[in-house]
Amino acid sequence: MRRELTIPVPSTHEVPLPGIDPVQRHFDRAAGPGRAGEPPALVADGLRKSYGQVQAVREVSFTVQPGEIFALLGPNGAGKTTTLEILEGFRTADAGRVAVLGMNPADRARGREFREQIGVVLQDIAVEPYLTVRETIARNAGYYPRPRDVGEVIGLAGLAGLERRKVRKLSGGQKRRLDLALGVVGRPRLLFLDEPTTGFDPAARQEAWAAIRALRDAGTTILLTTHYMEEAQELADRVAVMASGRIVAEGPPSRIGGRDTALTRISFALPEGCAAADLPPGVTGPPAADGGLVTVDAAEPTAVLHQLTGWALGRGTVLRQLTVERPSLEDIYLRLTAPDRIAASQEGSTR
Amino acid sequence: MSAVTLPSLRPRPRPPMAAVRLLWHQIRYEQLSFWRNTQNAVFTFAFPVLFMTVLGLLMRGGTASSYFYGRTPVAYYMPTIAALSVIGTCYGQLAVVLAMRRQDGILKRVRATPLPAGLYFLGLLAHCLVVAVTDVALIIGIGALFGAPRPAHWLALAVTLAVGAACFCGLGVAVASLVRNAEAAPAVVQLVLFPLLFLSGTYLPIHSAALNSAAGMLPIRPFNQALLAALNGSGLDWMHLAPLAAWGITGAVIGIRRFRWNPRPE
Repeated sequence: MRRELTIPVPSTHEVPLPGIDPVQRHFDRAAGPGRAGEPPALVADGLRKSYGQVQAVREVSFTVQPGEIFALLGPNGAGKTTTLEILEGFRTADAGRVAVLGMNPADRARGREFREQIGVVLQDIAVEPYLTVRETIARNAGYYPRPRDVGEVIGLAGLAGLERRKVRKLSGGQKRRLDLALGVVGRPRLLFLDEPTTGFDPAARQEAWAAIRALRDAGTTILLTTHYMEEAQELADRVAVMASGRIVAEGPPSRIGGRDTALTRISFALPEGCAAADLPPGVTGPPAADGGLVTVDAAEPTAVLHQLTGWALGRGTVLRQLTVERPSLEDIYLRLTAPDRIAASQEGSTR
Repeated sequence: MSAVTLPSLRPRPRPPMAAVRLLWHQIRYEQLSFWRNTQNAVFTFAFPVLFMTVLGLLMRGGTASSYFYGRTPVAYYMPTIAALSVIGTCYGQLAVVLAMRRQDGILKRVRATPLPAGLYFLGLLAHCLVVAVTDVALIIGIGALFGAPRPAHWLALAVTLAVGAACFCGLGVAVASLVRNAEAAPAVVQLVLFPLLFLSGTYLPIHSAALNSAAGMLPIRPFNQALLAALNGSGLDWMHLAPLAAWGITGAVIGIRRFRWNPRPE
């Protein structure tokens, strides 16, 4: 009989974290990744916000665990920025409950304590034009009790070599990186990033992603909004898709919107001299458009592919442009936000 | 990246000197911003000094006359140009800077940091005071060079300057709060300022009793008169400081009540 061996594995929640109240570690926490045993970094519960007649945020609830990167995706006007501004303490919600690092962002009495622990990178670039890069970062460092070293922040934000340059002489992308530097100089526990890489070239975007991952690895919890599916896919542990002021789907990028269980799409060019009717019985799909491809959506692609390739080999033909695809995050996103976009473009009311 | 630690959840007690250090920190960076901006350094700071120099060159050796209320021209212009420099710095520059910073989202950005709003404003006001006092010192020095008498009441001068600077800062904040569009701020500031400076005797003495009593109810003439008294007159001039203070308080109340950090109204 084999003996069961138990090896003591150190679990994260047994590692004492400096300065965390032991009582707070016993709070209930919602399921999700992040550091075990810690209360959620952020809880939004039933948020609502209207501007006059416009309901910008209708009913938004989500939880961000400590140490995770959570991305809010959605088209323009979906309510992402309003939601973020409520959580940052810039706006107050009409209804709902907010707890950010255990505090209410709207609580003026704890405002300073709150802002010492968060970092904010707003959508608009807003930096004083006449100071240098180093001076701007050093000035903001002075506002925090335990700031990061200015040189470290310059390196992290990819501003090395620009320390002595005046802010007004920076390019748009460089100013954006300075914005990021100002967001992290206070060593925040939670960082808000509102569309952090909009307008970046691909190389700058890769660098910004590396910086954001480094921050996460250092223990910073990050809530970001983005238009870029690739960005959410690359960075986020979990994603929530917003449309018309609501969260329409939430989950890890690989599983959101049923992405892991969705049909697989097989497509290929119909061989010459072959009609759609000649295809094997299992391979059925919408008829090919003129010069287009035959596409087959299969729940179980193995059998379909076996039939298809067997058929092709049997006939001695080639299946040109054969691809097997799983739906991308973008496909899922477009499907989830389609009703929103149709309503926005004031077109037909039926799909 | 080097290893980082997360800050503690519990607030630490703040050392009592921390606020003073933070205020000093703010004043330093406000000064840097101010002097690097050529427009500020030339128009706000250098213009009154230059103006005083030109007036001194033109009017030195002028004798005391009833036109200048029994003073020499240089002795008359020294306080009015000193007042002009305080008004330019505390009212004009402050209103434009605040309106611009709000429109550019810089104020919102400040609001996202732990810097207390009170300290931000105190730093800005102290910075204005530093610029104004330096300017006034230069103007008094140039005045003395061209034969104006040395200031007779230093303490009265200090109090008058402090009250004047605070009041015009209050009015500056009010204008910044009321102006919707930052591009319009310089025009609004000048539109109010220019006729008022003439009416208040800054550029030429006014000898109409009706005009003087009207201007006496507005902020600039009382400040001119109080500075005149402090520099070579009776000393501390409460009669003129009182209406000035009333304007300053009104401005500050409007400014604070209408103040927005956000570039766009909610």
